[in-house]
Amino acid sequence: MQAKPLTLRVLDIVAILALGIATYMALNAPTERVMGEVQKVFYFHIGTAWTALIGFILAAVFSVVYLVTKDLKWDRLQLASIEVSLVFFLITIVLGSIWARPAWNTWWTWDPRLTTAAVTELIYIAYFMLRQGIDDPDRRARFGAVYALIGGLSAPITFFAIRLFRTIHPVVIGGTNPDADGGFSMTADMRTAFFFALFAFTIIFIDLFWNRIRLGDLQDKVEQLKLRVTN
Amino acid sequence: MFFQEPTPDTSGYMIAGYAITFLVMALYVASIYLRSRNLNKDMSILREMDEPAPVQAKAPSPVKKMPAKPGSNKPAKPVTKRSRKKQP
Amino acid sequence: MVNKATEIRSVTSDRTLSQGSFLKAVGAVVWKDLRAEFRSRELFSAMLVFSLLIILIFNFALELDVKTRQSVTAGVLWSTFAFAGTLGLNRSMAIEKDRGCLDGLLLAPVDRSAIYFGKVISNLVFMLIVEAIVLPVYSVLYTVNLFQPGLLIVILLGSIGYVSVGTLLAAMSVQTRTRDILLPILLFPVVIPVLLAAVKASSGFLTGAELADIMLPINLLIAYDIIFTAVALMVFDSVVEE
Repeated sequence: MQAKPLTLRVLDIVAILALGIATYMALNAPTERVMGEVQKVFYFHIGTAWTALIGFILAAVFSVVYLVTKDLKWDRLQLASIEVSLVFFLITIVLGSIWARPAWNTWWTWDPRLTTAAVTELIYIAYFMLRQGIDDPDRRARFGAVYALIGGLSAPITFFAIRLFRTIHPVVIGGTNPDADGGFSMTADMRTAFFFALFAFTIIFIDLFWNRIRLGDLQDKVEQLKLRVTN
Repeated sequence: MFFQEPTPDTSGYMIAGYAITFLVMALYVASIYLRSRNLNKDMSILREMDEPAPVQAKAPSPVKKMPAKPGSNKPAKPVTKRSRKKQP
Repeated sequence: MVNKATEIRSVTSDRTLSQGSFLKAVGAVVWKDLRAEFRSRELFSAMLVFSLLIILIFNFALELDVKTRQSVTAGVLWSTFAFAGTLGLNRSMAIEKDRGCLDGLLLAPVDRSAIYFGKVISNLVFMLIVEAIVLPVYSVLYTVNLFQPGLLIVILLGSIGYVSVGTLLAAMSVQTRTRDILLPILLFPVVIPVLLAAVKASSGFLTGAELADIMLPINLLIAYDIIFTAVALMVFDSVVEE
């Protein structure tokens, strides 16, 4: 395989460093009074959630571009984006559950955000199952693009639909009442840790995304070579 | 609001949270690494099959062998050069 | 089946894409499906029997005493429709593919969207007929009056949303290796807003809630129907081309 470009190697290291620093900052941030240490998972919870959501939106954009240009490059980008976002969002959901247990005394709540998260995760798992059932790369790309688009459109609608019901998900940013069920306001230190975590996860996402794209390129090359050799 | 209430010790949950985060990410990185290693292996096997190989005819190979065709014995170099250009 | 496709081709072959020919093509697709189904009734009977069985299962799965019935009826109804609906969608598309109708249709010089609309309408008709039978059966079994105009409108809107996305996804899943199994996996997560809003609006009508409260989920249903029919229309071409 072609050697990793230098930029990517540097990015790998930067990503690991960023993760380390974010962890350090998060662990040393002031402890929240009402729920204790567990609140610190919040930094990573939002970090992964934010990047994963952007990843899914990007995937929907790639869908449209692919359907218009029919260039398989966009399909590879979409696949990488969805795979990395899927992993990140899984972390989001698990951390959300771990936070919920001591904060609201339940492992799961059917509030809008968590429920939409579960539905979204299932949509993109279905995306992979769809792709697995198709052998023709062009058809696979087309169908994947269509489904990522439909899925990407329906997830936000699901979120707003569930909002018809009451939520117990904390409204953190801008929430001035620290006594709100599980909500809390952030001090300056917490804010720095929070924004750095966001930044760190963006870098990690880009790094994993790039690596995954290269894997996709390699996969395509192997497939092409296989076709050529067995003909 | 009783300010005398002690902060509950939820550090166990916090540790679980961080541990899972690192674990899942490590697993994913490992998955990418393993997949690319397997693909590289496939790549080298396939490239071998592409080569003109009297040696290969004697050696047993797990992959199905094709009878040598006049046009199929291309040297590996052009493939590498072309693909290197496509490097992101 | 191929004769029907030839019919459609002859109907549209000597015209360019004028509005008349578009509607004629849609009508031809719908008519072909309805006629075939009327003769064999395989889809319809399967969906109907399946729905009744589901209601039966719910009777054992849930305590449907008089009090719970009120809160749970909407959910039971929509679960039934959702599951029976996948059956209909799957079979409808599988028939197209297996008998080569789809290829015949694609060769006709019509806008692909005519095929899409045609399939959506025929799938919708099947679903509505099944619902039209399930409703009185449920009413009788559980002594609850389901014939309120509001409820019927919700059922119509919900079915439209379900079928417009379902037809598109069925067209995809029927071309994969996993076929039938894949459709529910693809469809259910994406159609959740429809189920959510439909259940909320239905139970609103059944429990006599304020109209203002019910309008919210109904508006969501309408919005969903419009958005997704439009999107499906735009991408249907990519899904059926060879």
